[in-house]
Amino acid sequence: MKQEINKFPSRIGSDPDPPIQLVALMHQNNLYTQKLKGSKSPNPDLCGCFSSVMNRLRIISGHLCPAGSSELRRDLRSSACGSTAGCSGEDVVVVHGRRTAIGRAKRGGFKDTTPDELLSAVMTAVLTDVGLPPDKLGDVCVGNVLQPGAGALMARVAHFLSGFPETVPVYTVNRQCSSGLQALLNIAGAIRSRTIDLGLACGVESMTLRSMNNPGDLSSRLSDHQKARDCIIPMGLTSENVAERFGISREQQDSFSLSSHQKAARAQNSGRFDSEIVPVSVTLVDDEGRERQVTVSKDEGIRTGTTLAGLSKLRPAFKPDGSTTAGNSSQVSDGAAAVLLGRRSAVEALGLPVLGVLRASAVVGVPPDMMGIGPAVAIPAALQQAGLRLEDIDVFEINEAFASQAVFCVEKLGIPLEKVNPNGGAIALGHPLGCTGARQVVTLLNELRRRGKRAYGVVSMCIGTGMGAAAVFEYPGP
Amino acid sequence: ARAGCGSLFVLDQTKSGVALVGSWAWGDGLFDVTWSEANEHVLVAAGGDGSLQLWDTTNQNAPLRVVKEHAQEVYSVDWTQTRGENLLVSGSWDQTAKVWDQTLSRSLTTLRGHQGVIYSTIWSPHIPGCFASASGDGTLRIWDVNAGACRLAIPAHSAEVLSCDWCKYDQNIVATGSVDCSVCVWDLRNVQQAVNQLQGHTYAIRRVKFCPFRSTVLASCSYDFTVRFWDFSRTPPLLDSVEHHSEFVCGLDFNLHIPNQGICSYPVFVLQSENPIKVVEGSDFHLWICGF
Repeated sequence: MKQEINKFPSRIGSDPDPPIQLVALMHQNNLYTQKLKGSKSPNPDLCGCFSSVMNRLRIISGHLCPAGSSELRRDLRSSACGSTAGCSGEDVVVVHGRRTAIGRAKRGGFKDTTPDELLSAVMTAVLTDVGLPPDKLGDVCVGNVLQPGAGALMARVAHFLSGFPETVPVYTVNRQCSSGLQALLNIAGAIRSRTIDLGLACGVESMTLRSMNNPGDLSSRLSDHQKARDCIIPMGLTSENVAERFGISREQQDSFSLSSHQKAARAQNSGRFDSEIVPVSVTLVDDEGRERQVTVSKDEGIRTGTTLAGLSKLRPAFKPDGSTTAGNSSQVSDGAAAVLLGRRSAVEALGLPVLGVLRASAVVGVPPDMMGIGPAVAIPAALQQAGLRLEDIDVFEINEAFASQAVFCVEKLGIPLEKVNPNGGAIALGHPLGCTGARQVVTLLNELRRRGKRAYGVVSMCIGTGMGAAAVFEYPGP
Repeated sequence: ARAGCGSLFVLDQTKSGVALVGSWAWGDGLFDVTWSEANEHVLVAAGGDGSLQLWDTTNQNAPLRVVKEHAQEVYSVDWTQTRGENLLVSGSWDQTAKVWDQTLSRSLTTLRGHQGVIYSTIWSPHIPGCFASASGDGTLRIWDVNAGACRLAIPAHSAEVLSCDWCKYDQNIVATGSVDCSVCVWDLRNVQQAVNQLQGHTYAIRRVKFCPFRSTVLASCSYDFTVRFWDFSRTPPLLDSVEHHSEFVCGLDFNLHIPNQGICSYPVFVLQSENPIKVVEGSDFHLWICGF
């Protein structure tokens, strides 16, 4: 048939007197996407007819996803109607989220606090804020990396410390640095499969009390397999690999780190974190063994006085001629975060608010020896699932495990820097491993709400042993 | 064209290819268009804003007349083919069909009965005052305009019916295309069962069109990006599957002057380009020749 088409001009040319035919056709100039981005539209009268556009979209979407069709038909859905996804009762929505301040490990406010206490603080706060009795929760999932068995016991203890009834189950998940996000994706999956209606996704880490130096029990055959061997490379060396192989200079890394501190300081000083941070009262033990009560309500890692000159003087931390330093790596921290999720229909039935909608997610594998490139692969995968383009996203929360890998991912994807971590990232705030993903979701949705208009945001991070995760959220507007 | 607007393009097929004669902007999406059978410069377009617009291609500015009686999107418009009649029929998402005189002064009659949105309204090429309509309620209906009544309501598919068309050679044969991915051919004398069910599309069928030259040949275009040609008298019925679109194929028509030539076109949403000319030149607008 294609050959037939190619023959078309010659067919016309060979016809001595071809009849002339007038043809009329119509098209709509991106009508749906333009209108749905109502607040961005240059044409104000388009905003008024939002509900009629939603109705139009619902009808056209019905052509592709007819009621009663059990097939997901994801490929077409994402290219056809994903970018203009309407509201569905089946949507997985974020109701609310809170986090603790992020403390400096071993020296900060949480150095004498166990993770179950941190976890309990955010679990309690989220439910109290929205007035939801804990027995409404179908499940609780906690992301954790360093506790034995990802802290299964610790999580159940936190659960009871929070006054949750024994009838509500809880479990933990460990996908290293993405554990907090993975907890959210697990709860979302349970909601989608109609196993539960509402669930709490959390993340917690005390890097004061547990360290990353216990690899567990591994086979001696590890050394026979290159990729398996690469899994035990220290994270700092994977950062050096990314910097070397992709030419990310020390100056780029330091300047990115400086910017992280400056953005975080600005956010802290202007009170942007105040609504998301749950103040936690703890007992602190000083060097002489004296106890005192303190309330921790400010992120402790932000250094307002940091300068490029100061950063550039730091010595490489992982190899003598390397470029990764303590100043351009994420900080070792303690903290917790919790996010309440539900099926939209259940959430609305309970009169709970909708802070965000989970539109898509992806977890991908990358070479273990440069695990930091994970977001560069995961973000496009999640966007494709969502049927969105990079330009459709207003805010990217990309975990700053190392400046090297963060800079690489941002440059590789061509993300404008002003869209990346507008309130700073893990280099300034800290990276409590199991908590980070949930913390990023809380910070992202708060930022989008602060901006006050419907928008999309992405949360992404690299994952040790060579993976990347990303999730796309929509803030539906005020 | 302005963002969020519809555009009407008139194209001319010349020796050197397809040329743009003119384009006109409208404040909402345009879902269907029909040429006047009385005046070669006149056409009528169906608007997402519930309006019908009478356009004169020799007039570069506004439509000659705009009439807004439908309460919701007008999704189809068709000009009568039968001799002596110059009537229009429009089908709307407000679940009504309206019949109009050729000046669009006001509607002559409003036909109610569909329980869902109307996607397609097509005059019978044989029976004066008779048209068929396809609806989201899953039915194909046959209407008698003079009596103002629905003569037949056929539960054609168990899903939405997006399109219908009449056979040009047999006044009793009508085809329907549905979200259930099938085309059904109906003999109106016995609608208990379809004459044939043509299966092969993998997504909803957006438009079906009978061939003007062969009584049992028809074409369908689909959200599956393909155009398929069928001969419903043959086994298997599929003649050809054309896969040259990279987007939803939302419309198609046969060339009345050149046998086996036709046109199919345009994604309705998700356009690759803001520039309408590019759409004409680009990969999502195709003239085709089909050798059966």
